[in-house]
Amino acid sequence: MRNKKLSIVKNRFVFVIPGLIFFVTFSLIPIIAVFVMGFTSWDLLHPIKFVGLRNFRNMLHDKWFWNSILVSFKFMGISVPLIFFLSLALAIALYKEDRFSKIFRAFFYWPYMIPAVVGGTMWKWLLSYDTGLLNYILSKLGLEPVSWLEESTNALISVSLAQVWILSGFMMMIFITGLQNIPLEYQEAAVVDGANKWQVFWYVVFPLLKNTNLLVLIVSIAYCFRSFTLIYIMTTGGPGYATTVAPLYVYQRAFTEYRIGYASALSAVVLAIALVIALTVLRVRKSD
Amino acid sequence: MIKKTFIIFLTVIYMLPVFWSVVSSFKSMSEIYNYPPTIFPSKISLDGYLRIFKDYNFITYLNNTLFVAVIATVITVLVCVMTGYGLAKGTFPGKQMLNNVMLTTLFITAQIMMVPLFIVIKKLGLINSLWGLIIPAIYTPTGTFTAIQYMKDIPNELLESAKIDGANEWQIFWKIVMPLSKPLIAALAIFSFTWRWNDFILPLIVINDSKLYTIQLALSSLQGQYTIPWNAIMAFSTLAIIPTLIIFLLFQKLFMRGLMAGGLKY
Repeated sequence: MRNKKLSIVKNRFVFVIPGLIFFVTFSLIPIIAVFVMGFTSWDLLHPIKFVGLRNFRNMLHDKWFWNSILVSFKFMGISVPLIFFLSLALAIALYKEDRFSKIFRAFFYWPYMIPAVVGGTMWKWLLSYDTGLLNYILSKLGLEPVSWLEESTNALISVSLAQVWILSGFMMMIFITGLQNIPLEYQEAAVVDGANKWQVFWYVVFPLLKNTNLLVLIVSIAYCFRSFTLIYIMTTGGPGYATTVAPLYVYQRAFTEYRIGYASALSAVVLAIALVIALTVLRVRKSD
Repeated sequence: MIKKTFIIFLTVIYMLPVFWSVVSSFKSMSEIYNYPPTIFPSKISLDGYLRIFKDYNFITYLNNTLFVAVIATVITVLVCVMTGYGLAKGTFPGKQMLNNVMLTTLFITAQIMMVPLFIVIKKLGLINSLWGLIIPAIYTPTGTFTAIQYMKDIPNELLESAKIDGANEWQIFWKIVMPLSKPLIAALAIFSFTWRWNDFILPLIVINDSKLYTIQLALSSLQGQYTIPWNAIMAFSTLAIIPTLIIFLLFQKLFMRGLMAGGLKY
């Protein structure tokens, strides 16, 4: 016994124990709980009841759940490409280590540091129909005011743009690191060969950024897929289900309808999608 | 020149939501609902700020948030450094597998795990307790990943020579590893504090009692009340970003570079 105690100190396993306890309790057990609870029915008041495959059968007919997955993909479809190109453009403009770049990088990065609740509140206020600055500017330009958050398509576009605002500065930094890692000689050689600025970018720099491009793309997808707070604050999923993304739909089943078992079954699907994304990210990082 | 115009134009757009909120927070209750709106307040009014302190318990929320953020940060830093050390310098069997398993959860975050996380927290009796915001968030894959990377760079010879000098494992950890990890500890503390300050998911599922609201949860729930004027909400928002703004300005380099080295946000 004494020997064993000594050896977990000696091989330093003892240092991992506290972290391991928290990891098991709050990461591993919840993952298992998703699958176990998915076969039960629980409203927090009555005892947990085993219901077999009922939740999964109901899920197949839950048109709004599948709609929420579709909304998630639409949301990613608008924000991810915009984040990609905008952060790439920003990185190209700001990758040099001069004073101007350093100051302006901070402005674009800052939204990522702003709490999502506050960011969402600020956007909601900016886009408000009659007190928002944006509609005021439109009216000054002689245009009609727009229902940014009250109309289905507009609302989805608005929350996607707010997501771009949050994430593009962060992705810009990944691109800047990538750009700074490209040896300058490559570009110089291309210039000597008579290439213009755009040719240097498209034929020399962009292909060399291959890994960075992939990383930015997948990490953006991972971030946008789990976006919850911003949308919860800006539209609470509305109007109707127009901006109810998958995590928000699961949240509502669990915490406004108290269908914990059913929400667990839905979580399993959402978790599976997140896992596929996570494994892809780890792959890409390894090949980096 | 085109480049600078493009950047300045985008900066203006990026700062628009913040600008509009901050100027709105200084408007009086009647002016904030004016149509058409005024851009700058015609007279600077502190009405919104006075209200959140007097009518909307800002101080209580601030205390709750600081309690959670400070305690969680201390525990998170200690646990992360220990785990990172064990996973980087340990010789126990199954180390590599444990490494991989712990890092796979990097992208399985609270947003996706809300329901099962709630079940575990409820079973542990932590619902409606500030500890329910602290304990579930102590293990962070990002923090652990950062700590492992950092610990790998500590030379083994240093640990070996201390052992030869007769130090035991605990002495090595406290007297050699901890002092060498000051930059890591600082980074983990800053990140952890920011995450806890900004967190919304855990408070949303754990806290019901409005006396235990954190700043983010309070700001969200105030918007559900029709009686609260928007100048107060904007004042609330403005105050809610100040601590992280200060941290960001002080440690800008760490955030903008450190994140790349240490992987991705929790």
